[in-house]
Amino acid sequence: MSPLRRFLRTPEAVTGAMLLAALIAMALSASLLFPGDPQAIAGPALLPPFQDWSLPLGTDRLGRDVLAELFHGARTSLAVGLAAAAAALVVGAVVGTLAGFAGGLVDEVLMRITDAFQTVPSFLLALAFVSVVGPSLGVVVIAIALGTWTGPARVARAEVLSIRERDYVAGARVIGMHPLAIAFREVLPNALPPVLAMSSVIVAAAILTEAALSFLGLGDPNRVTWGGMIAEGRAVLRTAPFLSIVPGIALVLTVLGVYLAGEGIVETTAVRRGLS
Amino acid sequence: MSLLAVSNLTKCYRRGDKTIAAVDDVSFHIDPGETLALAGPSGSGKSTIARLVLRLIEPDDGRIDFEGSDFLALSGAALRARRARLQMVFQDPLAAFNPRATVARVLDDPLRVHGIASRAERPRRIAALLERVGLIADLAPRAIHEISGGQRQRVAIARAIATKPSLIVLDEAASALDVSVRGEILKLLLDLQRQEKIAYLFISHDLGVIRSVAHRVILLDAGRIAENGDAQTVIDAPQSAIGKALVAAAPRLNRTLMRLASAGLD
Amino acid sequence: MTTLASIRDLTVTYRRDSNEVAALRSVSLDIANGERLAIIGESGSGKSTLALAIAGLLPGSSRIGGRIDWFLPSSPPSGAKAPPSVLPDISPSRGEIGSSPAGPLSASLAMGESGDKGVISPLEGEMSGRTEGGLVRREVRKSSLKQSYIPRLGRDIGFVFQDPSASLDPVMTIGKQIAEVARTHLGLTWSQSYARAKSLIERVRLPDPDSALRAFPHQLSGGQKQRVAIAAAIAAGPKLLIADEATSALDTIVQAEIVALIRRLVTEDGMTLLFISHDIALAAELAERIAVFRHGQLVELGMTAQIVGAPAQHYTRALLDAHIGLDTRPLLDRAGLHA
Repeated sequence: MSPLRRFLRTPEAVTGAMLLAALIAMALSASLLFPGDPQAIAGPALLPPFQDWSLPLGTDRLGRDVLAELFHGARTSLAVGLAAAAAALVVGAVVGTLAGFAGGLVDEVLMRITDAFQTVPSFLLALAFVSVVGPSLGVVVIAIALGTWTGPARVARAEVLSIRERDYVAGARVIGMHPLAIAFREVLPNALPPVLAMSSVIVAAAILTEAALSFLGLGDPNRVTWGGMIAEGRAVLRTAPFLSIVPGIALVLTVLGVYLAGEGIVETTAVRRGLS
Repeated sequence: MSLLAVSNLTKCYRRGDKTIAAVDDVSFHIDPGETLALAGPSGSGKSTIARLVLRLIEPDDGRIDFEGSDFLALSGAALRARRARLQMVFQDPLAAFNPRATVARVLDDPLRVHGIASRAERPRRIAALLERVGLIADLAPRAIHEISGGQRQRVAIARAIATKPSLIVLDEAASALDVSVRGEILKLLLDLQRQEKIAYLFISHDLGVIRSVAHRVILLDAGRIAENGDAQTVIDAPQSAIGKALVAAAPRLNRTLMRLASAGLD
Repeated sequence: MTTLASIRDLTVTYRRDSNEVAALRSVSLDIANGERLAIIGESGSGKSTLALAIAGLLPGSSRIGGRIDWFLPSSPPSGAKAPPSVLPDISPSRGEIGSSPAGPLSASLAMGESGDKGVISPLEGEMSGRTEGGLVRREVRKSSLKQSYIPRLGRDIGFVFQDPSASLDPVMTIGKQIAEVARTHLGLTWSQSYARAKSLIERVRLPDPDSALRAFPHQLSGGQKQRVAIAAAIAAGPKLLIADEATSALDTIVQAEIVALIRRLVTEDGMTLLFISHDIALAAELAERIAVFRHGQLVELGMTAQIVGAPAQHYTRALLDAHIGLDTRPLLDRAGLHA
């Protein structure tokens, strides 16, 4: 049975994939369905949902279209989540591979740096970084990656430590291959699966961190973000709770979708590896 | 002059606060085109010697001269370049290749690393190598895990001869194979030796196979050389205690058959 | 000679992705009580599948067809104290368990893929540290015979795997691993079980039995670990001992010692031995009968002298010819070296 078919037979995986697909569809169609500036005023302020069908989810305190904000916010969440996770995985895998393969002093130095990053709570690190450098999309991505690359680095190093003792690494040395070529051609690709297995958790955490930063007003001010929307709604939480609840639900479903789909992929590929 | 001369090779491992000599003051030499076998029980140091000679691990003491120069003095690019002349075939051909590799990539690596053939020329060279070890060239695009164990060991031999080495270390290279395949692989190795004048350092626990293919044998016991001489002479009449024990322990079909026949007559 | 197990048309297929691979094709074979039978073959011959099928250790994804009839002495109810006659190193009449006054109990197990009831085979009492297998789910169709019986691993069948490091629990003492088998299957107390474990450690000739009881697997050499695995396999006095390539990972000298140990234990306890090996010379030294397997089929079965001395099948002949012994004519042409 192909991994795809096995994936499609796992209900959690399918649920996750559908949620993710909906999120991606929202992000891609945002400028088609809501071509204007989502932060422009679209109607009366604090219009509750399901009252006016041109503004199905109502409006916020300034009269902005909540549905349009939700669609455009999906873009930010997805972009930041994926970019931060990708950066964390790449940096982590490279650092872990170098540390594990080189051993000795290189390993010591790289792992002490990793320790240093790990001892600082990652959210605090992101917060400090953004408040020093200033909020923009790129900075937020770097800030989140700064706190999350250490996990993949440790997993990659542990995997590399076991792989470098294998016969095929000895074989590559006997052939006369350069140590860096061995590390990145022979060792890293085989150390990746457990590192990639962490990606769903990292993407989900990155999306949440981005929301938290935006909630605290440290998101990119020129972009609509779900965290920012929740923060906006906080002021009128008693009178218009939907302003916080709607983006909150979107956030929960997104994180759930990423997590379930990621687990589904890990599970189905793990089964395949177990068989062979 | 010897192709490989090893003198006073020593390698110790620390275990707790004890130091154990895995290889203890071992000296030997190999001539061009010759097969020297290393035999002994597990833990006798035969695989450690193989890895020391290949510089996969570094000795604590001793000297290795290969092709007339000090092999232990080489490092970095000079060592990697010299590795072309000294190759290895492992016991388990599945573990010896990157699990993601294809046959073509496994054979492409040595040609690329040592600049033996241009990118355009390499597919032809790979096909020629496969044919040299008795495989069809169509095997090239197949994944390593798809082909049979015997085919895999042939690919390992093709990879080892790709750089035209003068010495190949065979670390139990025929031990994990089915008996029917093993004979063919041994014949291939002898055939290559005859034609290319390759010397072998043949590590095996199987005295029958050593007697069949090696010129000389060294019997090791606890990291030291216990006995050393012509392979047939040593195995037919071992003098050392470990040699006698190894020979006595080897299962023998003819002895069994004679025992059964005499029991049948009673 | 009485029959211990009668295997008829045993067929095993493994499912891998969407293809089915036949590991055994319609194998019929009788195992006689008290004999030493070797199963030999190359990789993919199905010899290990046969061992696992007999022991009930096949993975759940495999499909099993055919039948195995067992002629085992009546088995005590689980947890009950065993009659002295099955405690091998106590009873003087061991080896005659099969013909005890109660008479052998004919038990039959028919396995069919059409089985409508999923029954979990009673392997929960298996000896400790079994990494392969675990709880195996087999589809078992109750046979029409009065007594249906699935042999219990550890109690009726002792199994020795190739790699003792994988079959022993790394964090449990040697003594406990052996005692646990005796306790589970013979209903002994812990102190009785430990006493039994100690006598077993002496029987498999581990040096210093008292400290060996408290040792952990990593403190032992490969050969010593295999001795422990054998002690655990025979701890409950099984009728059948299956050794699946049990000496293949060991060096020649240790291999010869383990083979001698197996031979001695089997003779002393009157056990039946199923010796699975790729090495025809080794099998010939130990076994009275040899079954040659190839591609999942039984090629030839006969007395050792006949198989080795006068094989009827071309394949058996080829296997014998491929053997490189200490008196085989060398492949190396010595004249070629300095030419």
